[in-house]
Amino acid sequence: MSTQFSAVLDALTRQRGVRASMVADAADGIAIDSNLQFGQDGNRVAALSASLYRKARQSARAAGLGATGFMQLEAEDGRLCILGGDTLVLVVIAEPDANVGLIRIEMRRAAEQLA
Amino acid sequence: MITASVEPWVDEPMTRFVRDAGARIALLLLPSGQVLAQFGFTRAVDVMAACALAAAIQASSQEMGRMLNGKPFSALHAGRTRQFFLAEARTARGPYIFLTVFDDGSSLGLVRMYFDELSASLAAAAPPLAANPEPVLAANFEGELNKNLAVLFGRA
Repeated sequence: MSTQFSAVLDALTRQRGVRASMVADAADGIAIDSNLQFGQDGNRVAALSASLYRKARQSARAAGLGATGFMQLEAEDGRLCILGGDTLVLVVIAEPDANVGLIRIEMRRAAEQLA
Repeated sequence: MITASVEPWVDEPMTRFVRDAGARIALLLLPSGQVLAQFGFTRAVDVMAACALAAAIQASSQEMGRMLNGKPFSALHAGRTRQFFLAEARTARGPYIFLTVFDDGSSLGLVRMYFDELSASLAAAAPPLAANPEPVLAANFEGELNKNLAVLFGRA
């Protein structure tokens, strides 16, 4: 089923090193649309990524650092990149050697299109 | 964190749910309304009221699901800042009703995800049902309910 997010997610997932992309509700942590590979549990990724983003945002505020935009989690087998707003979070799962700078630019571009 | 339970096999899955999901209140009960485990309540009368309401809501929503959708609704969620989630966990001993209340320290996505884990843990931990289980009779209900509440609030 195609949604208003499908084209944006398709463009993100075509980037080199990107394994999956997703849009989730920032408050509820529910997946809205996703481009996932076989074996990836979209509901779990959405719930945990949105939770991670909320906690990071709260931590940054508590530390007096202001608003949080982009965050990146480095894991053994890949990277989780999250770009959040008040209502939506955009999540990208990438290879360990992916170009995060480029992914970040594409995520910002995608977020502008979704706004 | 203290979860109180009437049957020890529900302790670990309930405690893990409350810890991982960041729930403020959690309640596990039988469809008849008898409580099995609770977290977050301080008064027995509140547990009794929540169990009665949860059992009634679950029975109503399941029936409404059958009428509208041909099968019972799997879960019920409501609220904005303080939210509740009500769902059924199926085990070999039969269905259990699970009610939890959470706020913005958690989310519906997390609660749904950890409820799936709770449901699987309960199904795995449930001891086999007795060969001839006693039916829940109206005459026994209040006595059983009071007994369970006494266990949960340390009066047994």
